[in-house]
Amino acid sequence: MRRKTLIGRVRLVGRAAIDVVQVLGRSSLFLLHALFGRGGIAGGFQLLVQQLYSVGVLSLPIIIVSGVFIGGVLALQGFSILTQYGSEQAVGQMVALTLLRELGPVVTGLLFAGRAGSALTAEIGNMKSTEQLSSLEMIGVDPLKYIAAPRLWAGFISLPLLALMFSVVGVWGGSWVAVDWLGVYEGSFWSNMQNSVSFTDDVLNGLIKSVVFAFVVTWIAVFQGYDCDPTSEGISRATTRTVVYASLAVLGLDFIMTALMFGDF
Amino acid sequence: MTADNAYAVELKGVTFKRGTRSIFENVDIRIPRGKVTGIMGPSGSGKTTLLRLMGAQLRPAAGEVWVNGQNLPQLSRSDLFDARKNMGVLFQSGALFTDLDVFENVAFPLRVHTDLPEEMVRDIVLMKLQAVGLRGAIELMPDELSGGMKRRVALARAIAMDPQILMYDEPFVGQDPIAMGVLVRLIRLLNDALGITSIVVSHDLAETSSIADYVYVVGDGQVLGQGAPAELKDSDNPRIRQFMKGQPDGPVPFHFSAPPLGADFLGKR
Amino acid sequence: MQNRTLEVGVGLFVLAGILALVLLALRVSGLSPASHHDTYKLYANFDNIAGLTVRAKVTLAGVTIGKVAAIDLDRDSFTGRVTMEVDKHVDNLPTDSTASILTAGLLGEKYIGISVGGDSALLKDGGTIHDTQSSLVLEDLIGKFLLNSVGKDAK
Repeated sequence: MRRKTLIGRVRLVGRAAIDVVQVLGRSSLFLLHALFGRGGIAGGFQLLVQQLYSVGVLSLPIIIVSGVFIGGVLALQGFSILTQYGSEQAVGQMVALTLLRELGPVVTGLLFAGRAGSALTAEIGNMKSTEQLSSLEMIGVDPLKYIAAPRLWAGFISLPLLALMFSVVGVWGGSWVAVDWLGVYEGSFWSNMQNSVSFTDDVLNGLIKSVVFAFVVTWIAVFQGYDCDPTSEGISRATTRTVVYASLAVLGLDFIMTALMFGDF
Repeated sequence: MTADNAYAVELKGVTFKRGTRSIFENVDIRIPRGKVTGIMGPSGSGKTTLLRLMGAQLRPAAGEVWVNGQNLPQLSRSDLFDARKNMGVLFQSGALFTDLDVFENVAFPLRVHTDLPEEMVRDIVLMKLQAVGLRGAIELMPDELSGGMKRRVALARAIAMDPQILMYDEPFVGQDPIAMGVLVRLIRLLNDALGITSIVVSHDLAETSSIADYVYVVGDGQVLGQGAPAELKDSDNPRIRQFMKGQPDGPVPFHFSAPPLGADFLGKR
Repeated sequence: MQNRTLEVGVGLFVLAGILALVLLALRVSGLSPASHHDTYKLYANFDNIAGLTVRAKVTLAGVTIGKVAAIDLDRDSFTGRVTMEVDKHVDNLPTDSTASILTAGLLGEKYIGISVGGDSALLKDGGTIHDTQSSLVLEDLIGKFLLNSVGKDAK
């Protein structure tokens, strides 16, 4: 067994730090090459459409269903608290603001990391382990352009759209619970909401959040797949890493962006 | 054009490292044009690494890799992708694109590199598939094929662009005797019929010896020997002799290096 | 063909996303394309703006006619200076109008209510409403009430 001296421990810290910097550098180069490297691919648009389908359209069911449930839960909880102050009409405003500012982008980001992100990592990792990436390279097609780029763009486009749909069905789910079920007066539900929700401050800021999450989650997912050990354990480890890193990144960045956007109230 | 025209591929003083460990140290290999050259060696000796160096998928730490008169490590990324159009590689697993059927797999290189009309693409694909005897499998998906058929489809794809150099990575691994025989025949046939240079990386002694015109034996990060298969069998080098005759113990010991037996069983931990 | 359904699916997906954005804009945030009027600026200095926030509404006769754009301290007069953006088509406010900070309900949000004066001169862009009534501060009110009752007892 290796003795753990003080110097040895310091060395371990140093090595870990170097590893982190190396991964950051590698993944940045990867992203640059994939997105802005020279040499386009014929039929690139067709590839993008295909990825939009498997990354975006196939993630729709989970997003819609979760959106309805979360909107409904918000309305239920909001109602039970607000009704103590006699201001249950404010439930619409609470549901809408919570969804637009926080839960829409964040929950969509987390679900996207779990549904589409893990699938991307596993798919690309599998291509790597079956030598499909090497094979593309030897056929003379840059896999960064052919495999990575369409998936990255598809993720960047899909997640913000999904977050918007999540918020819409969430608000609908909230109104369904609050108005149709708990009996909040419909007019005050919507007018309270419309008075307090600002398009630029709430809708657009939420959209900006989801764009940032889309960028980070897709980047992590595609890079982890591309960089994984081409073995079955390597792929499963990379998939786990995608979900963990992407979720942490979403939550951490959400805190930072919330502080920047809504902090000086 | 510094490379001698008689050689399709030339490695000059190539050193390759993984981390700090060297896989190859100052290796020289010359692959004659138009012949079948075997690269043999025990598992883990870096044969596949050698193939990837020739395809410039890996970059040597030192040395030159000349292919068709171009020093690959010095090429730009886009020139490199152009240079690879002249090479075909048959990967160990076949590496067919799992989301495309057999036809589209073989057509893939044609579609990305040429603007040929659809009928011509179809004709070429049928021709190549006919050459490997799988014209009938045109509509199947890769997961409906047996291992040997996958490899033959991959071979058809590798020759779709009529490359000058064809590399085979362990083509005989995990094949039944019939599939093995088919592949051996195909490799020889394609080499002679198309006038291409074939490089076969393998540790299957009998098959490789039977088709290769010239053989390199690698091990310990070096070229241990080279020559026609028959010459190598009678080599003076004990390591080559051990490998060529398949002896379990010899210069490559049966036991992985370990402390003396007594120390492990009786001594203190 | 399989390709066709795929493309149609993606097309619908993108359209649904855009539709969601439009719905959020119109239905949820109450942004209506027609109501985006030009505005002009009015200022008002309050002794105490306690509780008023940026984006609070400005109303006249209960109808929203603008919003609070900025709140800062006027260094010279030690008062809170509120910048309001008022709809251009409400350009007939007399100069002696009153601005007061009101509360919606007992604990509701603060907003500015404008009551119209009688002057024939009108407020222009960048004009200041001088007649202001500050926010009702609950603590002050309670203090006054207590003081009053103590005074009564002493009599």
